[in-house]
Amino acid sequence: MHAMLTRYVLKRFAVGLVQLFGLTVAVFFLIRLLPADPVSRLVGMNASAEAYAQAAHKLGLDRPVLTQLLGYLGLGEEPGLLQGSLGDSWVTGSTVASEIVQHLPVTLELITLGFLVAFAIAVPVGMVSALNPGGKTDKGVFVYSLFAGSQPEFWWGLLLVYVFFYQLGWAPPPLGRLSPMTTPPVAYTGFILIDTLLAGSPAKFVEALHHLMLPVLVLAFILSGPIIKMVRQNMVRALRSDFVLYGNAAGLPRKTVARYALRAAMAPSMTLIGILYGFMLSGAVLVEIVFSLGGIGQYAVRAVLAFDYPAIQGVILVITAISLIVYLALDLIHAAIDPRVAY
Amino acid sequence: MGLRIAKLLSCAAAAALIAVAPAAVAKDILILAEDVPAGFDYDGPSAAIPSSQQGMVTLMDPLITYAAGATNDTGVTLPDFSKFEGRLAESWSFDAASLTWTFKLRQGVKGCNGATFNADDVVYTFTRAKSVSGAAPIGWFLSNVGSIKGFGVEVFGKDAKAKELGDAVVKVDDYTVQIKQGEPNALFLPVLTIFGLLIYDKETMEKNATAEDPWSHKYGNETNAPGFGAYCLNTWTKSEEISYTSNKDYYLGAPAVEKVTVRRVPQSSNRVVVLQTGQAHLATGLTPREFDSLRSKDGLKVGGVTGNENMFLHMNFKSKPFDNMKVRQAVAHAIPFDQIIANGYFGQATQWTGLVPSSYPGFKPTAQFKHDPAKAKALLAEAGYPDGKGLEAFADAFRLSYVSEKESTLGPIVNIIQTSLREVGIPATLDPIPQTQYGDRQLVKRDLPFAVNDQEKPIGVDAGYAIQLFFVSADKGGLNNMVNYSSAMVDETWGKARVEPDMAKRSEMVGKVQEQLAADVAWLPIVEYKTQWAHSAKLSGVRWYPDNSLRYVDLKLAD
Repeated sequence: MHAMLTRYVLKRFAVGLVQLFGLTVAVFFLIRLLPADPVSRLVGMNASAEAYAQAAHKLGLDRPVLTQLLGYLGLGEEPGLLQGSLGDSWVTGSTVASEIVQHLPVTLELITLGFLVAFAIAVPVGMVSALNPGGKTDKGVFVYSLFAGSQPEFWWGLLLVYVFFYQLGWAPPPLGRLSPMTTPPVAYTGFILIDTLLAGSPAKFVEALHHLMLPVLVLAFILSGPIIKMVRQNMVRALRSDFVLYGNAAGLPRKTVARYALRAAMAPSMTLIGILYGFMLSGAVLVEIVFSLGGIGQYAVRAVLAFDYPAIQGVILVITAISLIVYLALDLIHAAIDPRVAY
Repeated sequence: MGLRIAKLLSCAAAAALIAVAPAAVAKDILILAEDVPAGFDYDGPSAAIPSSQQGMVTLMDPLITYAAGATNDTGVTLPDFSKFEGRLAESWSFDAASLTWTFKLRQGVKGCNGATFNADDVVYTFTRAKSVSGAAPIGWFLSNVGSIKGFGVEVFGKDAKAKELGDAVVKVDDYTVQIKQGEPNALFLPVLTIFGLLIYDKETMEKNATAEDPWSHKYGNETNAPGFGAYCLNTWTKSEEISYTSNKDYYLGAPAVEKVTVRRVPQSSNRVVVLQTGQAHLATGLTPREFDSLRSKDGLKVGGVTGNENMFLHMNFKSKPFDNMKVRQAVAHAIPFDQIIANGYFGQATQWTGLVPSSYPGFKPTAQFKHDPAKAKALLAEAGYPDGKGLEAFADAFRLSYVSEKESTLGPIVNIIQTSLREVGIPATLDPIPQTQYGDRQLVKRDLPFAVNDQEKPIGVDAGYAIQLFFVSADKGGLNNMVNYSSAMVDETWGKARVEPDMAKRSEMVGKVQEQLAADVAWLPIVEYKTQWAHSAKLSGVRWYPDNSLRYVDLKLAD
């Protein structure tokens, strides 16, 4: 079993690497089809032909495209992907890797917490509403998921800021992960909740938690809608299946039967959650903007708007790699839940 | 009123109770901005970004600057463009025969790292500029605009010697520097005030140089800009926050505000909300509507100045039918200037009556277009398009482009323009495009047929500079001639005016050029809008500079 599992994981990693390589090459050419030239942003008012050529040379854009690709991959003179370098940002001059390391944990922390809260709400609610279809909870869920999903998250974000910060004063101002007057802890992991604990500062931990309150709530609110629906549907289907009927007929307690049904319902729900997680890596951008959280979504948007090729490529590569890992983890969980799944 | 105060007080009280952070001490301020510096190297990739320029002028000082002028009714002090004042230079003189400027430098100036300012720092700054080793060499560009000897385009060639400073900038003694010009040019002193020629602290820069990067571009992009400014860098996280502490040794006296924290808050409505609760002291980059909403709030002030920000319509001479003068004039008379001022800028703008900023020396009011739809229709008929018939063939040319990131400000304005043009028969449609694409099409491809532009602020304070930048033919050195305007009269007259040492004669020629530009509707000037800041009523001392960045050293915070 273990050998099979190891072989399966290794195989998936190998396939993942091929996918990443293909994507890198495809993105490399695709961004060069964007309808603008990144050099103009760099030269600004100083757009003489000579200065333009100088800037294009500094970015390496005066070289043939294939040479640029080999350079990016690390087969040229300078270090590239093979050497672990994602290049330098054309906007800030910093390395793309250092910028991703700064921005990515912000988003991972935000959406992971968002998913946990959404999950904690959605699973019991979805279950109860499936157990009593047409009941009060079920009707309530229908209205809720219609309501939560029909408004964009930035609108909810602004509304919550207005009510809970401006009107009631319960929430801190939407100025990022800590108050601007607080000295942030050393970024060992980039996850503010972990770093504040590592720094031995429970006060800052509480402050960070307080700052995460509204953005996590908005995300959980948005995410729980589809998760509830999914859990409910799968649960209803599972409750109608033969093994549940048999369990009921055999006189098993209702609780036990519900637990069996939930296990069967969770497998397909996990797939949805995996897809949603990958999507939210860049999809949380509106929440990041409203709460001034410098996450990877905002970084990606800025990179695209500035035609910052190395940053765009770096972000896509990293987000894809994370998605691939999440999918792999889900497949493993799927197999653990459902023994019929073979590697 | 009472209720509003009570609400504000309860918000502030609740927020104060909740805030885990210690309350700020009296002389610290918090500024909410669209962004924080992306880099400090003015020859580097982030130099064109306004938030980066704000960082540079905070950490570094120029040789000279404009003297302070009058303070307006909103509490903003304007510069006196007729008078220069020493900063790192104490005094200067000019020898016209040898085109040599001699600068006496200030003594006893200390930088944040303990370095003492002297002539070596000035020579280093210009040597670095001429090395054109950065991605976007602005130091070279400004030296070129000011006709400093040897700063021609030859520096971009293969000859390494052309990149050396030579005798253009010479250290006479520790506190005297001479700078030579290659030809007479009145733009020399103005360029020295600009961020792209701020003086570096040579000692610290060289300490952070490496073999691959001898001019410390990486250090400037990622770490610091060592200079002799009023503030020192405290903390900096790109895209998030930056804080500065006052330079206690600053040569003009320690700044009144001891610590400045600038926080990036991308959503402008959040900047408004937080400012209103009193937890921040100043907010920049709000929309005209937001500034207007804050004007009457207790405890807040909105300062504004008609500086150099303006909005105009761009009609490309290379796109038909904009090569037809009658069509250009028809468009000009179809624009409802007053409606745009009232509904787009909430009264914080005036009709622009020229093609260079009206606050600049050499400005001449030459463009007097009036909203007159009947005249616009008559002009269209004269152009061969009665009631706009025949213009549908130019649907692509009438796609009115604007920067999509500026939707909240420009959206209402482009809608007013579109409606008014349609009323006279011009089939305008709207085409929002991203900033970078807009910039590329404007600066490099020069193929935008029809556009609204509100972002051209000529950084050299001189009507002639604006003319050279925007209206001289591209093959005669017009760097940003986005509408492909070409006039032999303008090229020739400016060519002479540029090197004319007699300022009265120069001014007359520059005036004539502006008359020609208005007659040709080279651009269609619409409004000059106010540059505004919203801030706590306790904060005072805001001063406007042509780069539209604040100097925190000017600010004072009442107890």
